[in-house]
Amino acid sequence: MIFDRPSSVELLKAVSFFLDEKIKKEVPPHLAFKLRIVENVLKIVCREIEQGDALSEEVINDLKKLINSDIASLEDLANLIKEQKIDLEDQDLQNILVKLSKNKIAVDNPNYSTYKKLLD
Amino acid sequence: MSQDLEKVLTQKLSEESIAGEIFNLEPLTGGASKEIWKFELKTKAQTEKYILRRGSGIEGPLAIKTSDEAKIQKIVKSLGASVPEIVSVSSLEEPLGDAYIMKFVEGESIARKILRDDEYKNALKNLAFECGESIAKIHQADISEFPFLPRKAVSDQINDLYNTYVSFNQHSPVFEYTYLWLKEQSFGEINDSLVHGDFRLGNIIVSQMGLESIIDWELAHIGNPLQDLGWICGNSWRFGNTDKVVGGFGNIEDLLDGYNSISEYKVDTKTVRAWQVFGTFRWGVICLIQASAHLTGSVNSVEKAAIGRRVSETEIDIVDLLFLGGK
Repeated sequence: MIFDRPSSVELLKAVSFFLDEKIKKEVPPHLAFKLRIVENVLKIVCREIEQGDALSEEVINDLKKLINSDIASLEDLANLIKEQKIDLEDQDLQNILVKLSKNKIAVDNPNYSTYKKLLD
Repeated sequence: MSQDLEKVLTQKLSEESIAGEIFNLEPLTGGASKEIWKFELKTKAQTEKYILRRGSGIEGPLAIKTSDEAKIQKIVKSLGASVPEIVSVSSLEEPLGDAYIMKFVEGESIARKILRDDEYKNALKNLAFECGESIAKIHQADISEFPFLPRKAVSDQINDLYNTYVSFNQHSPVFEYTYLWLKEQSFGEINDSLVHGDFRLGNIIVSQMGLESIIDWELAHIGNPLQDLGWICGNSWRFGNTDKVVGGFGNIEDLLDGYNSISEYKVDTKTVRAWQVFGTFRWGVICLIQASAHLTGSVNSVEKAAIGRRVSETEIDIVDLLFLGGK
Protein backbone atom coordinates (compact mmCIF):
# COMPACT_ATOMS: atom_id res chain seq x y z
CA MET A 1 0.00 0.00 0.00
CA ILE A 2 1.32 3.43 -0.92
CA PHE A 3 -0.90 5.26 1.55
CA ASP A 4 0.09 6.90 4.80
CA ARG A 5 -1.26 6.12 8.20
CA PRO A 6 -3.90 6.26 9.51
CA SER A 7 -4.81 3.07 7.66
CA SER A 8 -8.35 2.62 6.39
CA VAL A 9 -9.26 0.73 9.56
CA GLU A 10 -7.68 3.39 11.76
CA LEU A 11 -9.67 6.09 9.94
CA LEU A 12 -12.91 4.18 10.36
CA LYS A 13 -12.21 3.65 14.04
CA ALA A 14 -11.60 7.38 14.49
CA VAL A 15 -15.01 8.07 12.92
CA SER A 16 -16.65 5.46 15.16
CA PHE A 17 -15.09 7.03 18.22
CA PHE A 18 -16.31 10.50 17.20
CA LEU A 19 -19.87 9.26 16.64
CA ASP A 20 -19.91 7.38 19.91
CA GLU A 21 -18.33 10.06 22.08
CA LYS A 22 -19.63 13.29 20.58
CA ILE A 23 -22.69 12.68 18.42
CA LYS A 24 -24.63 9.95 20.20
CA LYS A 25 -25.73 12.12 23.10
CA GLU A 26 -26.83 14.94 20.79
CA VAL A 27 -29.30 13.09 18.59
CA PRO A 28 -33.04 12.60 19.26
CA PRO A 29 -34.26 9.03 20.01
CA HIS A 30 -35.48 8.19 16.50
CA LEU A 31 -32.06 9.09 15.10
CA ALA A 32 -30.18 7.35 17.92
CA PHE A 33 -31.54 4.09 16.53
CA LYS A 34 -30.16 4.93 13.07
CA LEU A 35 -26.88 6.09 14.52
CA ARG A 36 -26.43 2.68 16.09
CA ILE A 37 -26.88 1.15 12.64
CA VAL A 38 -24.30 3.54 11.21
CA GLU A 39 -21.82 2.54 13.91
CA ASN A 40 -22.45 -1.12 13.18
CA VAL A 41 -21.86 -0.57 9.49
CA LEU A 42 -18.46 0.97 10.22
CA LYS A 43 -17.55 -2.05 12.34
CA ILE A 44 -18.55 -4.44 9.54
CA VAL A 45 -16.28 -2.59 7.14
CA CYS A 46 -13.38 -2.69 9.63
CA ARG A 47 -13.74 -6.43 10.15
CA GLU A 48 -14.01 -7.08 6.44
CA ILE A 49 -10.82 -5.13 5.74
CA GLU A 50 -8.99 -6.90 8.55
CA GLN A 51 -10.25 -10.48 8.19
CA GLY A 52 -12.16 -10.68 4.91
CA ASP A 53 -9.44 -12.14 2.71
CA ALA A 54 -8.48 -14.91 5.11
CA LEU A 55 -12.10 -15.85 5.83
CA SER A 56 -12.95 -16.01 2.12
CA GLU A 57 -9.85 -17.97 1.25
CA GLU A 58 -10.60 -20.62 3.86
CA VAL A 59 -13.99 -21.34 2.29
CA ILE A 60 -12.75 -21.22 -1.29
CA ASN A 61 -9.92 -23.66 -0.47
CA ASP A 62 -12.37 -26.18 0.95
CA LEU A 63 -14.53 -25.72 -2.09
CA LYS A 64 -11.62 -26.30 -4.47
CA LYS A 65 -11.01 -29.64 -2.75
CA LEU A 66 -14.68 -30.55 -2.90
CA ILE A 67 -14.98 -29.95 -6.63
CA ASN A 68 -11.40 -30.96 -7.36
CA SER A 69 -10.53 -27.77 -9.21
CA ASP A 70 -7.92 -24.98 -9.07
CA ILE A 71 -10.55 -22.30 -9.19
CA ALA A 72 -13.83 -22.08 -7.35
CA SER A 73 -16.41 -19.46 -6.45
CA LEU A 74 -19.60 -19.19 -4.45
CA GLU A 75 -21.43 -19.32 -7.75
CA ASP A 76 -19.89 -22.75 -8.43
CA LEU A 77 -21.06 -24.00 -5.06
CA ALA A 78 -24.54 -22.54 -5.56
CA ASN A 79 -24.81 -24.22 -8.96
CA LEU A 80 -23.53 -27.53 -7.65
CA ILE A 81 -26.42 -27.60 -5.20
CA LYS A 82 -29.00 -26.13 -7.55
CA GLU A 83 -28.25 -28.69 -10.28
CA GLN A 84 -28.05 -31.40 -7.62
CA LYS A 85 -24.67 -32.56 -8.86
CA ILE A 86 -23.85 -33.47 -5.31
CA ASP A 87 -25.68 -35.54 -2.71
CA LEU A 88 -27.36 -33.11 -0.32
CA GLU A 89 -26.41 -35.42 2.56
CA ASP A 90 -22.70 -35.22 1.62
CA GLN A 91 -20.82 -34.40 4.81
CA ASP A 92 -18.15 -32.29 3.07
CA LEU A 93 -20.85 -30.21 1.40
CA GLN A 94 -22.63 -29.63 4.69
CA ASN A 95 -19.31 -28.75 6.36
CA ILE A 96 -18.58 -26.14 3.71
CA LEU A 97 -22.03 -24.59 4.16
CA VAL A 98 -21.40 -24.38 7.90
CA LYS A 99 -17.95 -22.85 7.45
CA LEU A 100 -19.22 -20.40 4.84
CA SER A 101 -22.01 -19.26 7.16
CA LYS A 102 -19.67 -18.93 10.14
CA ASN A 103 -17.09 -16.97 8.16
CA LYS A 104 -19.69 -14.58 6.76
CA ILE A 105 -21.26 -13.84 10.15
CA ALA A 106 -17.77 -13.40 11.65
CA VAL A 107 -17.60 -10.19 9.61
CA ASP A 108 -21.27 -9.20 9.50
CA ASN A 109 -22.16 -9.72 13.14
CA PRO A 110 -19.84 -11.74 15.39
CA ASN A 111 -22.14 -11.04 18.34
CA TYR A 112 -24.97 -12.92 16.68
CA SER A 113 -26.42 -15.46 19.12
CA THR A 114 -26.18 -18.55 16.90
CA TYR A 115 -22.57 -17.79 16.00
CA LYS A 116 -21.60 -17.33 19.64
CA LYS A 117 -23.42 -20.56 20.55
CA LEU A 118 -21.60 -22.48 17.83
CA LEU A 119 -18.21 -21.13 18.94
CA ASP A 120 -18.69 -22.44 22.49
CA MET B 1 -43.00 18.86 7.43
CA SER B 2 -44.69 18.11 10.73
CA GLN B 3 -46.70 21.34 10.49
CA ASP B 4 -48.16 20.26 7.17
CA LEU B 5 -48.83 16.87 8.66
CA GLU B 6 -50.58 18.46 11.63
CA LYS B 7 -52.88 20.27 9.25
CA VAL B 8 -53.90 17.21 7.24
CA LEU B 9 -54.27 15.16 10.41
CA THR B 10 -56.58 17.74 11.97
CA GLN B 11 -58.60 17.83 8.76
CA LYS B 12 -58.85 14.03 8.57
CA LEU B 13 -59.90 13.70 12.21
CA SER B 14 -62.54 16.39 11.84
CA GLU B 15 -64.05 14.34 9.00
CA GLU B 16 -64.48 11.60 11.61
CA SER B 17 -66.16 14.16 13.90
CA ILE B 18 -63.13 14.24 16.16
CA ALA B 19 -62.41 17.94 16.54
CA GLY B 20 -59.47 19.11 18.54
CA GLU B 21 -56.00 20.51 18.65
CA ILE B 22 -53.00 18.34 17.84
CA PHE B 23 -49.82 18.65 19.82
CA ASN B 24 -46.63 16.73 20.61
CA LEU B 25 -46.57 15.25 17.11
CA GLU B 26 -43.37 13.22 16.92
CA PRO B 27 -41.95 10.44 14.75
CA LEU B 28 -41.38 7.07 16.41
CA THR B 29 -38.82 4.45 15.59
CA GLY B 30 -40.82 2.12 13.47
CA GLY B 31 -40.35 -0.57 10.91
CA ALA B 32 -38.01 0.01 8.02
CA SER B 33 -40.85 0.62 5.58
CA LYS B 34 -43.49 2.67 7.38
CA GLU B 35 -43.70 6.08 9.02
CA ILE B 36 -45.08 6.02 12.54
CA TRP B 37 -46.08 9.21 14.37
CA LYS B 38 -47.36 9.69 17.86
CA PHE B 39 -49.49 12.68 18.79
CA GLU B 40 -51.93 13.97 21.35
CA LEU B 41 -55.30 15.45 20.59
CA LYS B 42 -56.90 17.91 22.93
CA THR B 43 -60.65 18.01 22.56
CA LYS B 44 -63.23 19.83 24.68
CA ALA B 45 -63.72 16.75 26.81
CA GLN B 46 -60.21 15.31 27.18
CA THR B 47 -56.71 14.78 25.83
CA GLU B 48 -56.03 11.46 24.16
CA LYS B 49 -52.96 9.88 22.57
CA TYR B 50 -53.02 8.53 19.03
CA ILE B 51 -50.73 6.84 16.54
CA LEU B 52 -50.56 7.56 12.83
CA ARG B 53 -49.21 4.81 10.62
CA ARG B 54 -48.47 5.77 7.06
CA GLY B 55 -47.02 3.88 4.10
CA SER B 56 -46.02 4.69 0.57
CA GLY B 57 -49.30 3.34 -0.83
CA ILE B 58 -47.38 0.92 -2.99
CA GLU B 59 -47.91 -2.76 -2.41
CA GLY B 60 -44.48 -4.33 -2.08
CA PRO B 61 -43.53 -7.86 -3.06
CA LEU B 62 -44.86 -8.96 0.34
CA ALA B 63 -46.53 -6.01 2.03
CA ILE B 64 -50.16 -4.98 1.69
CA LYS B 65 -51.52 -1.43 1.63
CA THR B 66 -51.48 0.38 4.95
CA SER B 67 -55.19 1.15 4.74
CA ASP B 68 -55.88 -2.58 4.31
CA GLU B 69 -54.04 -3.25 7.57
CA ALA B 70 -56.65 -1.10 9.28
CA LYS B 71 -59.50 -3.07 7.69
CA ILE B 72 -58.07 -6.32 9.06
CA GLN B 73 -57.68 -4.92 12.54
CA LYS B 74 -61.29 -3.79 12.61
CA ILE B 75 -62.44 -7.30 11.72
CA VAL B 76 -60.20 -9.23 14.12
CA LYS B 77 -61.08 -6.87 16.96
CA SER B 78 -64.66 -8.02 16.66
CA LEU B 79 -63.40 -11.61 17.21
CA GLY B 80 -61.81 -10.67 20.50
CA ALA B 81 -58.22 -10.36 19.30
CA SER B 82 -56.29 -7.57 21.01
CA VAL B 83 -55.62 -4.85 18.46
CA PRO B 84 -55.60 -1.06 18.71
CA GLU B 85 -58.87 0.74 18.02
CA ILE B 86 -58.82 2.28 14.56
CA VAL B 87 -60.33 5.76 14.48
CA SER B 88 -59.72 6.74 10.87
CA VAL B 89 -58.51 5.24 7.61
CA SER B 90 -57.10 7.24 4.71
CA SER B 91 -56.61 6.06 1.15
CA LEU B 92 -53.66 6.97 -1.05
CA GLU B 93 -55.68 9.65 -2.92
CA GLU B 94 -56.41 11.62 0.24
CA PRO B 95 -54.03 14.33 1.55
CA LEU B 96 -52.89 12.06 4.39
CA GLY B 97 -52.01 9.28 1.92
CA ASP B 98 -52.16 5.53 2.53
CA ALA B 99 -52.53 5.61 6.30
CA TYR B 100 -54.61 5.08 9.38
CA ILE B 101 -54.98 6.59 12.82
CA MET B 102 -55.41 4.43 15.88
CA LYS B 103 -55.67 4.95 19.60
CA PHE B 104 -52.35 4.76 21.41
CA VAL B 105 -51.90 1.60 23.47
CA GLU B 106 -49.85 1.94 26.65
CA GLY B 107 -46.99 -0.53 26.82
CA GLU B 108 -43.77 -1.40 25.09
CA SER B 109 -43.07 -2.73 21.61
CA ILE B 110 -39.27 -2.62 21.57
CA ALA B 111 -38.19 -6.25 21.88
CA ARG B 112 -34.95 -5.73 23.74
CA LYS B 113 -36.64 -3.60 26.40
CA ILE B 114 -39.37 -6.18 26.94
CA LEU B 115 -36.80 -8.95 27.29
CA ARG B 116 -34.41 -6.94 29.47
CA ASP B 117 -36.39 -4.64 31.77
CA ASP B 118 -37.49 -5.94 35.18
CA GLU B 119 -40.98 -4.50 34.84
CA TYR B 120 -41.89 -7.07 32.17
CA LYS B 121 -40.45 -10.06 34.01
CA ASN B 122 -43.81 -11.29 35.24
CA ALA B 123 -45.55 -10.65 31.94
CA LEU B 124 -42.96 -12.76 30.12
CA LYS B 125 -43.84 -15.87 32.13
CA ASN B 126 -47.22 -16.21 30.48
CA LEU B 127 -46.46 -14.47 27.20
CA ALA B 128 -45.83 -17.59 25.09
CA PHE B 129 -49.25 -18.95 26.12
CA GLU B 130 -50.88 -15.57 25.39
CA CYS B 131 -49.21 -15.40 21.99
CA GLY B 132 -50.47 -18.89 21.11
CA GLU B 133 -53.95 -17.86 22.19
CA SER B 134 -53.87 -14.63 20.16
CA ILE B 135 -52.51 -16.34 17.08
CA ALA B 136 -55.33 -18.91 17.29
CA LYS B 137 -57.94 -16.12 17.56
CA ILE B 138 -56.56 -14.47 14.42
CA HIS B 139 -56.76 -17.82 12.63
CA GLN B 140 -60.45 -18.13 13.47
CA ALA B 141 -61.45 -15.16 11.31
CA ASP B 142 -63.76 -15.91 8.39
CA ILE B 143 -61.51 -15.61 5.34
CA SER B 144 -64.38 -14.46 3.13
CA GLU B 145 -64.14 -11.12 4.94
CA PHE B 146 -60.72 -10.45 3.41
CA PRO B 147 -61.23 -10.37 -0.37
CA PHE B 148 -58.47 -7.74 -0.62
CA LEU B 149 -55.79 -10.05 0.83
CA PRO B 150 -53.56 -12.19 -1.36
CA ARG B 151 -53.90 -15.97 -1.03
CA LYS B 152 -50.50 -17.60 -0.65
CA ALA B 153 -50.05 -21.36 -0.75
CA VAL B 154 -46.81 -22.44 0.90
CA SER B 155 -45.46 -23.97 -2.32
CA ASP B 156 -46.07 -20.67 -4.12
CA GLN B 157 -44.44 -18.73 -1.29
CA ILE B 158 -41.35 -20.96 -1.43
CA ASN B 159 -41.08 -20.49 -5.18
CA ASP B 160 -41.71 -16.74 -4.95
CA LEU B 161 -39.06 -16.31 -2.27
CA TYR B 162 -36.59 -18.38 -4.25
CA ASN B 163 -37.26 -16.48 -7.48
CA THR B 164 -36.88 -13.19 -5.62
CA TYR B 165 -33.52 -14.36 -4.27
CA VAL B 166 -32.44 -15.45 -7.77
CA SER B 167 -33.46 -12.08 -9.24
CA PHE B 168 -30.83 -10.30 -7.11
CA ASN B 169 -28.08 -12.38 -8.71
CA GLN B 170 -26.23 -12.76 -5.43
CA HIS B 171 -25.29 -16.40 -4.95
CA SER B 172 -26.17 -18.02 -1.65
CA PRO B 173 -25.30 -21.71 -1.54
CA VAL B 174 -27.20 -21.94 1.75
CA PHE B 175 -30.38 -20.56 0.18
CA GLU B 176 -30.03 -22.95 -2.77
CA TYR B 177 -29.84 -25.81 -0.28
CA THR B 178 -32.75 -24.44 1.77
CA TYR B 179 -34.94 -24.20 -1.30
CA LEU B 180 -34.41 -27.86 -2.17
CA TRP B 181 -34.94 -28.86 1.47
CA LEU B 182 -38.17 -26.86 1.83
CA LYS B 183 -39.64 -28.40 -1.31
CA GLU B 184 -39.48 -31.82 0.39
CA GLN B 185 -41.21 -30.83 3.63
CA SER B 186 -44.72 -31.26 4.92
CA PHE B 187 -46.23 -28.06 6.30
CA GLY B 188 -49.35 -29.57 7.90
CA GLU B 189 -52.82 -30.31 6.52
CA ILE B 190 -55.01 -27.49 7.75
CA ASN B 191 -57.60 -25.16 6.26
CA ASP B 192 -56.39 -21.80 5.00
CA SER B 193 -56.99 -18.88 7.30
CA LEU B 194 -56.00 -15.30 7.98
CA VAL B 195 -52.24 -15.28 8.65
CA HIS B 196 -50.73 -12.30 10.48
CA GLY B 197 -47.42 -12.96 8.76
CA ASP B 198 -45.14 -11.11 11.19
CA PHE B 199 -46.26 -12.06 14.69
CA ARG B 200 -43.28 -11.57 17.03
CA LEU B 201 -41.78 -9.16 19.56
CA GLY B 202 -41.53 -5.79 17.90
CA ASN B 203 -45.01 -6.22 16.47
CA ILE B 204 -46.87 -6.75 19.71
CA ILE B 205 -47.34 -4.32 22.58
CA VAL B 206 -46.58 -5.75 25.99
CA SER B 207 -47.37 -4.18 29.35
CA GLN B 208 -46.61 -5.40 32.86
CA MET B 209 -49.89 -7.31 32.61
CA GLY B 210 -48.91 -9.15 29.42
CA LEU B 211 -49.90 -8.99 25.76
CA GLU B 212 -51.88 -5.81 25.11
CA SER B 213 -52.06 -5.44 21.38
CA ILE B 214 -51.05 -6.93 18.04
CA ILE B 215 -49.74 -4.37 15.57
CA ASP B 216 -48.00 -4.23 12.19
CA TRP B 217 -50.22 -6.25 9.87
CA GLU B 218 -48.42 -5.40 6.64
CA LEU B 219 -47.45 -9.01 5.85
CA ALA B 220 -50.95 -10.39 6.40
CA HIS B 221 -52.35 -12.83 3.86
CA ILE B 222 -54.56 -15.88 3.50
CA GLY B 223 -52.74 -19.20 3.75
CA ASN B 224 -51.60 -22.03 6.00
CA PRO B 225 -51.95 -20.57 9.53
CA LEU B 226 -49.13 -22.66 11.00
CA GLN B 227 -46.76 -20.17 9.38
CA ASP B 228 -47.41 -17.78 12.29
CA LEU B 229 -46.34 -20.43 14.83
CA GLY B 230 -43.07 -21.20 13.04
CA TRP B 231 -42.28 -17.52 12.50
CA ILE B 232 -42.27 -16.55 16.17
CA CYS B 233 -39.96 -19.53 16.87
CA GLY B 234 -37.27 -18.33 14.46
CA ASN B 235 -33.98 -17.33 16.03
CA SER B 236 -34.18 -14.01 14.14
CA TRP B 237 -36.90 -13.00 16.62
CA ARG B 238 -35.25 -14.19 19.84
CA PHE B 239 -33.12 -11.04 20.08
CA GLY B 240 -30.12 -12.83 21.51
CA ASN B 241 -32.04 -15.10 23.92
CA THR B 242 -31.36 -18.04 21.68
CA ASP B 243 -32.26 -20.72 24.28
CA LYS B 244 -35.84 -19.41 24.55
CA VAL B 245 -37.34 -20.77 21.35
CA VAL B 246 -40.54 -18.71 21.35
CA GLY B 247 -39.63 -15.09 20.71
CA GLY B 248 -36.69 -15.14 23.10
CA PHE B 249 -38.99 -15.52 26.12
CA GLY B 250 -40.88 -18.82 26.11
CA ASN B 251 -41.04 -22.44 25.15
CA ILE B 252 -42.91 -24.14 22.39
CA GLU B 253 -45.11 -26.23 24.71
CA ASP B 254 -46.59 -23.07 26.24
CA LEU B 255 -47.13 -21.53 22.80
CA LEU B 256 -48.97 -24.63 21.60
CA ASP B 257 -50.98 -24.92 24.85
CA GLY B 258 -52.14 -21.35 24.27
CA TYR B 259 -52.96 -22.15 20.66
CA ASN B 260 -54.96 -25.21 21.69
CA SER B 261 -56.89 -23.27 24.32
CA ILE B 262 -58.69 -21.75 21.31
CA SER B 263 -58.07 -24.08 18.37
CA GLU B 264 -58.62 -27.84 18.30
CA TYR B 265 -55.96 -28.37 15.66
CA LYS B 266 -53.14 -30.46 17.14
CA VAL B 267 -49.88 -28.99 15.94
CA ASP B 268 -46.96 -31.32 15.52
CA THR B 269 -43.58 -29.82 16.52
CA LYS B 270 -41.86 -31.25 13.43
CA THR B 271 -44.23 -29.19 11.30
CA VAL B 272 -43.43 -26.08 13.35
CA ARG B 273 -39.76 -26.76 12.65
CA ALA B 274 -40.35 -26.90 8.89
CA TRP B 275 -42.13 -23.55 9.21
CA GLN B 276 -39.25 -22.25 11.29
CA VAL B 277 -36.80 -22.99 8.47
CA PHE B 278 -39.27 -21.48 6.02
CA GLY B 279 -39.58 -18.37 8.19
CA THR B 280 -35.84 -17.96 8.49
CA PHE B 281 -35.47 -18.25 4.72
CA ARG B 282 -38.33 -15.77 4.30
CA TRP B 283 -36.68 -13.26 6.62
CA GLY B 284 -33.42 -13.72 4.71
CA VAL B 285 -35.15 -12.90 1.43
CA ILE B 286 -36.91 -9.91 3.02
CA CYS B 287 -33.46 -8.65 4.04
CA LEU B 288 -32.37 -9.02 0.41
CA ILE B 289 -35.44 -7.10 -0.77
CA GLN B 290 -34.82 -4.28 1.70
CA ALA B 291 -31.15 -4.02 0.75
CA SER B 292 -32.00 -4.03 -2.93
CA ALA B 293 -34.21 -0.94 -2.48
CA HIS B 294 -31.03 0.85 -1.46
CA LEU B 295 -28.75 -0.82 -4.00
CA THR B 296 -30.96 -0.05 -6.98
CA GLY B 297 -31.12 3.57 -5.91
CA SER B 298 -34.87 3.71 -5.32
CA VAL B 299 -34.07 4.93 -1.80
CA ASN B 300 -30.82 5.96 -0.18
CA SER B 301 -30.95 4.50 3.30
CA VAL B 302 -28.13 3.31 5.50
CA GLU B 303 -30.70 1.25 7.38
CA LYS B 304 -31.67 -0.64 4.26
CA ALA B 305 -28.05 -0.95 3.15
CA ALA B 306 -27.10 -2.45 6.51
CA ILE B 307 -29.89 -4.99 6.41
CA GLY B 308 -28.19 -6.61 3.42
CA ARG B 309 -25.55 -7.81 5.85
CA ARG B 310 -28.16 -9.50 8.00
CA VAL B 311 -28.77 -12.17 5.37
CA SER B 312 -25.84 -14.05 6.88
CA GLU B 313 -27.72 -14.23 10.21
CA THR B 314 -30.42 -16.25 8.51
CA GLU B 315 -27.87 -18.46 6.76
CA ILE B 316 -26.17 -19.44 10.00
CA ASP B 317 -29.56 -20.06 11.63
CA ILE B 318 -30.53 -22.35 8.76
CA VAL B 319 -27.32 -24.41 8.83
CA ASP B 320 -27.72 -24.64 12.61
CA LEU B 321 -31.27 -25.97 12.22
CA LEU B 322 -30.49 -28.34 9.35
CA PHE B 323 -27.05 -29.72 10.22
CA LEU B 324 -26.08 -28.84 13.79
CA GLY B 325 -29.13 -29.78 15.86
CA GLY B 326 -30.26 -26.18 16.43
CA LYS B 327 -33.65 -25.62 18.02
